[in-house]
Amino acid sequence: MKAIEVEHLSKTFNVQKNRDGLKGALQDLFSRQYNQVAAVNDISFSIPAGEICGYIGENGAGKSTTIKMLTGILVPTSGKLNVGGYVPHEEREKFVRNIGVVFGQRSQLWWDIGVIESFGLLRKVYGVPENDYRKRLDELVQRLDLGELLNRPVRKLSLGQRMRCELVAALLHNPSIVFLDEPTIGLDIIVKTEIREFLKDMNREHGTTILLTTHDLQDIEALCSRVIMLDEGRIIYDGGLDTLKSRWGQGTRVTFQFGAACPLERLRTLTSDLQVDWTADNDLHAEVLVPAQLNVSDVLAKVVGQPNIAITDIKITETTTDEIVRQIYRTGSASKPSGADTEGGQPLHV
Amino acid sequence: MYYIGLVVEYLKNYMKTRLTYRADFWVEVISDLLMQASNLIFIFVVFGHTDSLGGWSESEVVFVYGFYMVPFGLFSCFVNLWNFSDRYIVKGEMDRILTRPAYNLFQIFLENIDPPGLLGSLIGVIIMIVSGSQLGLDFAWWFIPVMILFAICAALIYTGIYITLTSLSFYSDSPTGIIPLMYNIQNYGRYPVTIYNRAIQFLLTWILPFAFVGVYPASLFLGREEMVHMAWLTPVMAAIFLTIGVVSWNVGVKRYRGAGS
Amino acid sequence: MFSAYTDFIRIRFLTMLAYRVNYYSGILIYMLNIGVYYFTWQAIYGGQGEIGGFTASQMTTYIAVSWMARAFYFNNLDYEIANDIRDGSIAIQFIRPYNYLLVKMMQGFGEGLFRFTLFMIPGMLIALLLFPVRLPSDPIAWIGFLIMLFFSFLINSQLNLLTGLTAFFVENNQGMIRMKRVIVDLFSGLVIPISLFPGWLSSVMQWLPFQAITYLPGSVFTGRTQGTGILEVFGIQLIWFFVLLIPIFLMWRAARKRLFVQGG
Repeated sequence: MKAIEVEHLSKTFNVQKNRDGLKGALQDLFSRQYNQVAAVNDISFSIPAGEICGYIGENGAGKSTTIKMLTGILVPTSGKLNVGGYVPHEEREKFVRNIGVVFGQRSQLWWDIGVIESFGLLRKVYGVPENDYRKRLDELVQRLDLGELLNRPVRKLSLGQRMRCELVAALLHNPSIVFLDEPTIGLDIIVKTEIREFLKDMNREHGTTILLTTHDLQDIEALCSRVIMLDEGRIIYDGGLDTLKSRWGQGTRVTFQFGAACPLERLRTLTSDLQVDWTADNDLHAEVLVPAQLNVSDVLAKVVGQPNIAITDIKITETTTDEIVRQIYRTGSASKPSGADTEGGQPLHV
Repeated sequence: MYYIGLVVEYLKNYMKTRLTYRADFWVEVISDLLMQASNLIFIFVVFGHTDSLGGWSESEVVFVYGFYMVPFGLFSCFVNLWNFSDRYIVKGEMDRILTRPAYNLFQIFLENIDPPGLLGSLIGVIIMIVSGSQLGLDFAWWFIPVMILFAICAALIYTGIYITLTSLSFYSDSPTGIIPLMYNIQNYGRYPVTIYNRAIQFLLTWILPFAFVGVYPASLFLGREEMVHMAWLTPVMAAIFLTIGVVSWNVGVKRYRGAGS
Repeated sequence: MFSAYTDFIRIRFLTMLAYRVNYYSGILIYMLNIGVYYFTWQAIYGGQGEIGGFTASQMTTYIAVSWMARAFYFNNLDYEIANDIRDGSIAIQFIRPYNYLLVKMMQGFGEGLFRFTLFMIPGMLIALLLFPVRLPSDPIAWIGFLIMLFFSFLINSQLNLLTGLTAFFVENNQGMIRMKRVIVDLFSGLVIPISLFPGWLSSVMQWLPFQAITYLPGSVFTGRTQGTGILEVFGIQLIWFFVLLIPIFLMWRAARKRLFVQGG
């Protein structure tokens, strides 16, 4: 069963053009010009129930706009969408009973009253029966360790404490689909880890479908089996995180430090039957990039133990997801880096 | 039933918040009262220089003012849209409202509920009793149900007008400040509108029908024959303007663009 | 340094131009205000020749010029300051190399310039067409009025600063802001000229700053105050301008202290 289905979804905004200077501003007073900006441009994807999917992209790529359409806040300009059996913006009030939403940058809770009061109010708003609410609240409070925070007003909570309360607020009605817009923004590493663990458990125990946007790729690595990457309103990658790594990762980098000078030519000859790429800053240092399909040990076997090569240190580094994504953002497409078979600018469904 | 339950819940929360800031509560009550007093001053000063305003005596005008305060009190208790554009559009709190399973406009009303406003209604009733007895009005049993009906309808007319004006902030990309400008205009329905010229009468009757929150409905109780037919139009106007308001609001929400990105 | 302040004027002027809906509706609403009071006073005058020293024709001019003056001096500095204080952004203002209150005044002046050129002057022209307004023939009255109009703006903005700053001391000063607006409209003589108030009340008002905002410049414009009388009423404005600096200074100092102790 699909939890979220999106077909050819677009959202265009009219943005007012401001003319320069006093004269321009005076002209704007009497006649205005507008630009059309496509925040989301013809995207399609579907997410099966029970999946955790990461939604990433640079600032302004259209992540928030998509989330806001999926949660019924914005009405799409064109395209079809179905979330948990509803068209979000059409039957909003019925639809939102099944979803939970957390906006990392914005609070859902009432500022001046105790956290527990906010929860009580939300219980009424969502019409959760008293018994279910008690059970659910106890479970969440225990799991997120909120015990002594419950009576404090929100304005007296730290960001980490507040975010844990936000999660509870969004989950009290036990939604089957949860949207998280930058849930870990600004949090310290301990709280981040806690929240990731919590989300993973929730997904496992209740089969909750989770769509999250984030700038922290460790969230993605820890949680998501799948990522959708967005750039300028278009999907540029949709598939597994492993595939992204294996296909777009640049392999493994091995750095050698030598006791005595070792010319680059010598190293190239030694590994001439392997497709590897050597670089060096000076004679006492060399770096080799080993593509994913080769074994690092094969390369090492060729170099280590050779006469006249005095190795003092070896460092092996994997390309991190951060690096891969940074690379993709920079080139603006998820097609393979140069040298590999390119697949144009088409979105890839792997 | 669901919505009545919510009103109770939000009122409880209002009380809890307000108990934290007790001093503010009194500042607000006192400033509201002073505001009402200053409006009465205008009437008294004017009648210091004349015996009748377009054929209406001082007590009659004061009675109209008293009536006007009742729906205005209801309105200012339940409908506070003054900072809607700033808080819900510019700061993006509308996002939160739209992800909750209750009618969005109703949620906004509830979040800004302001019970001290009802104090004005109470004072309005007292003013009506005092000026009514000065006038020697014959009190009839039907005054009470009809007055309750008219007061509610008048509050709904206010609500309709202000919802319509507020929903403009969904259409305009710059924040609008029309509502503070309305503050003066809403007062003009408290005086016998017949003293104004045709254009202004027309405006206050059919376009911004503030005459229906003051002088028209009140004229029924004062027995001013020339306006009685207008008084009975109050519920009709309420239905029309509330509909206009809610429709333009619902269309506006579809155009909501969210804050920030 | 000074050029930074003039920039605030310029930017606010340009910002005002962006509020298009406000602009159009504002002109209409000011005309409606003048219209309503014009007809109300017509009804009050009935056959009477003079009320509180005003002839019916002077009253018409007084109403038009007072509302158009309000179109110029009115601003929302009180509300803006209260907002800055409530959402905590005032703390950032303290570490900037300028005086916050002066910046607010400059922004107010930028708004005033906009209001003067695009609200008040066109509005006055429309009012001339619609209502029997009589413009002064004496150039001295014009000069006196324009100078005093500027001081109306200063004094009204000073009161706005004071009201806005109360947000430091009470959690929610919305009620106070609303009350101040009503009081300024009533006691400045906008709704009722001061001389029409009953004796005791009008003598109280002569000791309050509000009359300096509308009533005094209005009486110069209508020709009720002439010759050296103009200097006299201008003197009253000047005195209020300087007197009001004192509570602003005191409140600002108390506010700073409070901010540093409580940490915003």
